[in-house]
Amino acid sequence: MKLLYSIYKEYKVLIRDRAGLIITFIMPTILILIITLIQDTTFRSVNEASVPLLIVDRDHDSLSQTLEKSLINSKFFVITKKQLSDEETKKQIATGQFFIGIIIPENASKQLREKTSARIAKLLGSFSGDSTSIKEQRDTTKLNIQLYFDPITKKSFKTTISNSIERIVSQIEMQSMVNSLNDKMKESFPLATPSKLEITPIVNLKEEYASYNNSTIIPNSVQHNVPAWTLFAMFFICIPLAGNIIRERDDGSAFRLLTMPGSYMIVILGKMLTYVAVSLIQFSLMLCVGVFLLPMLGMPQLNIGNNLPVLFLVAISAGLAATGFGLLVGTIATSHDQASLFGSVFIIMLAAIGGIWVPTFVMPDVMKKIAVISPLNWGLEAFYGIFIRNFGFKEIFPQVAKLLGFFAICLGSAYLYQKYKRLR
Amino acid sequence: MSILVNIQHVSKKYKDASRVAVNDLSLTINKGDVFGLLGPNGAGKTTFISMLCGLFPTSSGEIYINGQTHKTHSKECKQVIGVVPQEIALYPKLTAWENLMFLGHMYGLSGGSLKEKIKENLRILGLEENMHQKIVSYSGGMKRRVNLIAGLLHNPQLLILDEPTVGVDVQSKQAIIEHLKDLNKKNGMTILYTSHHLEEAEDFCSHIAIIDDGKLITQGETNQLIIDNNCKSIEEVYLKITGEKFRDK
Repeated sequence: MKLLYSIYKEYKVLIRDRAGLIITFIMPTILILIITLIQDTTFRSVNEASVPLLIVDRDHDSLSQTLEKSLINSKFFVITKKQLSDEETKKQIATGQFFIGIIIPENASKQLREKTSARIAKLLGSFSGDSTSIKEQRDTTKLNIQLYFDPITKKSFKTTISNSIERIVSQIEMQSMVNSLNDKMKESFPLATPSKLEITPIVNLKEEYASYNNSTIIPNSVQHNVPAWTLFAMFFICIPLAGNIIRERDDGSAFRLLTMPGSYMIVILGKMLTYVAVSLIQFSLMLCVGVFLLPMLGMPQLNIGNNLPVLFLVAISAGLAATGFGLLVGTIATSHDQASLFGSVFIIMLAAIGGIWVPTFVMPDVMKKIAVISPLNWGLEAFYGIFIRNFGFKEIFPQVAKLLGFFAICLGSAYLYQKYKRLR
Repeated sequence: MSILVNIQHVSKKYKDASRVAVNDLSLTINKGDVFGLLGPNGAGKTTFISMLCGLFPTSSGEIYINGQTHKTHSKECKQVIGVVPQEIALYPKLTAWENLMFLGHMYGLSGGSLKEKIKENLRILGLEENMHQKIVSYSGGMKRRVNLIAGLLHNPQLLILDEPTVGVDVQSKQAIIEHLKDLNKKNGMTILYTSHHLEEAEDFCSHIAIIDDGKLITQGETNQLIIDNNCKSIEEVYLKITGEKFRDK
């Protein structure tokens, strides 16, 4: 009964604290919306089609048409066609209007047809033993397609794009060769009706993410930002909790409660349970933002995996870790200002280290090693595991154990500090 | 008269402090006494009350409440005590009713008897009409009265009051003191009272102890102290014993 009434009191105090409610619920919602929208382009550039490409087509024939069609089909580029000079094209790329510029020269298709035709003729001539014609038909000149890259392009990305375009061009070349061969064969065997030579790839590269338990979810900005900022908000609860403890100490309530038989521990337990419940409400609310609100704004929908009990366990563990930290800050800090400053700076540091702001997979190696000391990183890795890798309890257990260990250490430290102060 | 509180050679020295906060203090409080504990700022009153309430241990000596100590019978000792701190130890965003219901539950009370007890006290102290208003909207005097009720809910044998009338108007002060006198007279409630209002202490307390620099300087029945020190009032006794120098440096 004492515990229930203590929880009821904390609930009443919380719902009447408008500033606290804003920090607890509105701030993380806004953070998730803003950061997800901002980072969406960055995540998309890694995952999806968004490379702006300029085509300067001076050919207007089969080569340029096939190249354009293939680039569109690759779903890697946003294509714009313009008629510009070489200098103008270079300028547009240099000023960052496009990532890549492709100039297809005049008569490129015609040249390609002539060259392939000559090569096929040379090949067939070699069968008839006409060595003179082979020597005469030797041609080492090349058909040049000019590529311009934005100077800020990373080398690895430039190589990837070049390879993609080169592959498309190779296919066009191959198609042209086959066409020429077909024409020559028709000339040699006018009465035959040969089937067309297939040039579709024989060797296929089968690619997929090495995900766990058959999960095929690809990380995106929503998948990162929703759990990341939810954890940030859950840990930020340490400030209102610490403030609550300090206020009780300053206004004599703690003194009164300590003089009651066995009540203060119940009051502290009531606080902890209330704030863990608040952190779970925060968590559920943020999941709803990811599942329902973000798709309305054109963002991908948050996929919460299919292991809800484990997800709930991680959320409780993170809530306990955050509450334990708040309790420790509230016990050690001597004023509300001190708790707010120390609590917020510490949480921001743990968030930065733990990969909340910038995901750990883009961090340098040194930071990746440091990241593992942050409780926010443990929580984030656990959520990644559930959302992206479809982990179960066994795989999540190390992260859960770390979060619960952190909670126990905070609680133990607060108790020992309080005891030390009383025995002073 | 039977002894409720027996203090025997109690001393307290904080680890980092250069001086002793309470120095070999011995006194007794009988059941039914209204005991005034007076002394300048920094005399050791708060430290003494904290030890009496079991908030921290003594460095030496023993405190007996109803013959039991906090060391062995903490729960029983705490059940005897009701505390009214100097600060308004209430939740400003809760109503008076909500505050008192919470504190009543923390004392292990519940149900209709608790509600009745709260209503009765609110009525006596003139707060019945305002009981569903938030504490933040109360005047200083109203807050003090709710603060007092919070310490009375479990009918303590010993009520510890730390400056219960500081910063309140004459009407509120009158209501508080009259209610306390009533509780002492009708219920035999023992009261330990600290204040800097010496006139009020003289009027209210049956016994007075003056402490300074952690030591007990004098104690006795209020009237007897005035006579023994050849003074006209407790204020004169106080100034005669403690001197006129400022203490809070």
